[in-house]
Amino acid sequence: MQKKGSILAENIIFIILNLTFIIILMLFLFSKTGAAPVMEEKYAKQIAMLVDTSEPVMTIDINMEDAIEIAQKENMNLNEAIAINGNIVTVKLRPDSNGYSYSFFNDVDAKANFDTKTRTKYYLTITKNE
Amino acid sequence: MNKGGAEKIFSVYWFAILFIVAAAIVYMVSSFYGKPYDVRDVETGLLTDKAATCLSLGGYITGNWQALNNNTFLAECGLNFNVEDAYGWNDNQYLIEIEFLDFNSGLVLKEISVGNPNLKLDCAVEDRNFPVCLEREMYTIDKADRQYKIKIFSAVRKTEKNAQ
Repeated sequence: MQKKGSILAENIIFIILNLTFIIILMLFLFSKTGAAPVMEEKYAKQIAMLVDTSEPVMTIDINMEDAIEIAQKENMNLNEAIAINGNIVTVKLRPDSNGYSYSFFNDVDAKANFDTKTRTKYYLTITKNE
Repeated sequence: MNKGGAEKIFSVYWFAILFIVAAAIVYMVSSFYGKPYDVRDVETGLLTDKAATCLSLGGYITGNWQALNNNTFLAECGLNFNVEDAYGWNDNQYLIEIEFLDFNSGLVLKEISVGNPNLKLDCAVEDRNFPVCLEREMYTIDKADRQYKIKIFSAVRKTEKNAQ
């Protein structure tokens, strides 16, 4: 009776250890793929490339649901998550970071605005640089 | 008794294999997400397209092409080569060179070069840590049906933010 009990306990410990191992691995993968610095870089470059392809006058919608989710968790002001100064795009999803900046070569006046209706996207307005 | 010992050894091997697999996954994920996204291929393509659209529209060469020069090209074509103040970059991360040639004789009629000319020297090296370059040619005519060939060479460095 005692032997059967110890076999069962060993198996349970074995399964628990395996599951723990897999869960830690999955958490690592999710933390890496959905991390704020990765998102900041991805969207800063994406927005810069979009501005480079654009012509005045244009409005471009960008679905940024995943980045907005992170910014909300980090208590970041969503109106300040994307800043465009001159020809430099800065995406900042954490209040304590400097964000990620990338420049575009298209000499236009670009502005990024948070869509308060859907709360899942930003829209870029491209106008001629005066 | 032996069976129990064998099972324990099996579970040790099992965890060793699990650890090796996890270490491999962690290494691959870290090396993939640790490197920046390289968008310079797209950027050089867009820069070339932008210059081409500026120089020729609807198959006709732009009317003021003879007035273009190194100082006026950026403003005329709506380009801005300023970059972010990082890694000691000094607004020298781009290069664009334009050659206007007579289509029939191949004679160079005009050359324009704007940006950092040193980038062209590194273009021969095909490595992520060097600038990404692109050369394109196009055929165009003017209103008097004279034929031209325009060569556009563009290069983008920004190595620190696109390759490691």
